[in-house]
Amino acid sequence: MTGPPTSGPPLGTAPPGTRANLGQVRSGSTWVRVARRILTWRAWSPVVYGVIAVVVGYLVLSELGTLGVYRLSYALLILPGILNGFYVSLELVAVYIPLGFGVGFLVGWARTTQSLILRGLGSAYVDFFRSMPPLALIFFASLMGAVALKGTNLDPYTQHNITLWLGVIALGLHTGGYQAEIVRAGILSVPAGQTEAADALGITRIRSMFVVTLPQAFRVSLPPLANEFSSVIKDSSYLFIIGWFELAGAGYSYASESYRYHYAEAALVTWFEVALFFFVLTYIVTRTLRGIEDAFRVPGLEAATL
Amino acid sequence: MTTLQLRGIKKSFGKTVVLRGVDLDIDGGEVLCITGPSGSGKSTLLRCTNLLIPPDAGEIYLDSVRVNQRSVRPEWVRQKIGMVFQSFNLFTHLSARKNVMLALRHSRKVSRAEAEKKAVYELNRVGLGDRMDSFPAQLSGGQQQRVAIARALAMDPEVMLFDEPTSALDAESTHEVLAVMTRLAREGMTMAVVTHEIGFARAVAHQIAFFDNGLIVEQGTPAEIFEHPQHERTRSFIQKILR
Repeated sequence: MTGPPTSGPPLGTAPPGTRANLGQVRSGSTWVRVARRILTWRAWSPVVYGVIAVVVGYLVLSELGTLGVYRLSYALLILPGILNGFYVSLELVAVYIPLGFGVGFLVGWARTTQSLILRGLGSAYVDFFRSMPPLALIFFASLMGAVALKGTNLDPYTQHNITLWLGVIALGLHTGGYQAEIVRAGILSVPAGQTEAADALGITRIRSMFVVTLPQAFRVSLPPLANEFSSVIKDSSYLFIIGWFELAGAGYSYASESYRYHYAEAALVTWFEVALFFFVLTYIVTRTLRGIEDAFRVPGLEAATL
Repeated sequence: MTTLQLRGIKKSFGKTVVLRGVDLDIDGGEVLCITGPSGSGKSTLLRCTNLLIPPDAGEIYLDSVRVNQRSVRPEWVRQKIGMVFQSFNLFTHLSARKNVMLALRHSRKVSRAEAEKKAVYELNRVGLGDRMDSFPAQLSGGQQQRVAIARALAMDPEVMLFDEPTSALDAESTHEVLAVMTRLAREGMTMAVVTHEIGFARAVAHQIAFFDNGLIVEQGTPAEIFEHPQHERTRSFIQKILR
């Protein structure tokens, strides 16, 4: 061994297997803590292991193929295209999930207010967007956009672009309906006594919403939000139908070209690769949320560990 | 020192009449203990006083300023009247120190450094100087209630309301909290305390009000109420809680 002896784990990391000392390092601002937690989070290692396991499994499986052509070489052949789809998916997810969260937050909040109008609008929103199939919503949005743009003198390229993004917005509004209910449940989970205490201290209602209710609602909402995010990430493949060449779309076109090779095996390899990248995408998002959850964990309120 | 006067306070929830026109006076620097059976409207009366529940009728005067009128913001009233709850109601996501700082920062708009200084001072005053960075879930009931008292005191209120502050506590914690309240009373704070702690009421209160069925049945000094209750209803209640 060379070099100086290390003096224990770096700041902000917990020794493996201990949850208890999470939250003891509370220096720096909240966001610095969040960033540090996400970067130093132990559980990133399963990501690495997961990727390694899938790649090894992939190699084994492709070695099982009877003909050499569509084994690893086929997987590598389609990799650039699949990666391209992955980037497109990443871009889409980065747009419609935050959009859904913004909408969901406002609608969820509206449903917890005293105002009958806001509550009515909120529940109408949730009822509508939760009962519409996302596929139909995406079609409606992009086709209605196409019809509306027909008379304009925008160039066809721009028109097409707008219809594409309308579909993405539709998906954002769809997940917003689900996220609204998560936000509402989070706000309702904060006991009335908290608001009452803030009232009694002379804090205005709107302010106590931001400094008392929402910080607590946010913590309660994180696990179901991660659930919804991981679910709606896979819905990005719906956008293929209006012309987004995203991950599943890339997979679909490669798989349908596989008649040139041995169909079943080439298609299998393709979909395996697609699934691998969906896994990576979902894992990144859910793990980030888990990191945030850990960073905001309130000492003394950890769930009982068995 | 600030006096608090209630005149003809009425409150109903739907068809249930909770307060039937309550008149009450607390002189500056005095402690009034309110006692009476559950469901008689004691908590509602306290909540009407700082307008957490707006009364249907009646007037509330703080040093002869009427506070329940349109031109007076309820937030202003609540900055003058501190309140401590039976169930503590500490903000669960904040440390003791931040619990005390929160209202200063967001209600009085005090700077962070100043709020911090005040929080440290008030927490030391209730004997929690060593637990300032603990979160509510890490504190005992008595410690939580003392943080809640520090939080209310940090606003420099002129009147303090206590709504059964020790009913959720064990004997030892009750003792801690009552000790803090006793000191507060000795320092001359105007206080209204809903309590069944007879020992505390006897030792600290200047006035006792016996409350039943939405009205004050009898009011007087501890000696008058405990030794020579005038009304039959008071007598039977006092006998029950003394036993």
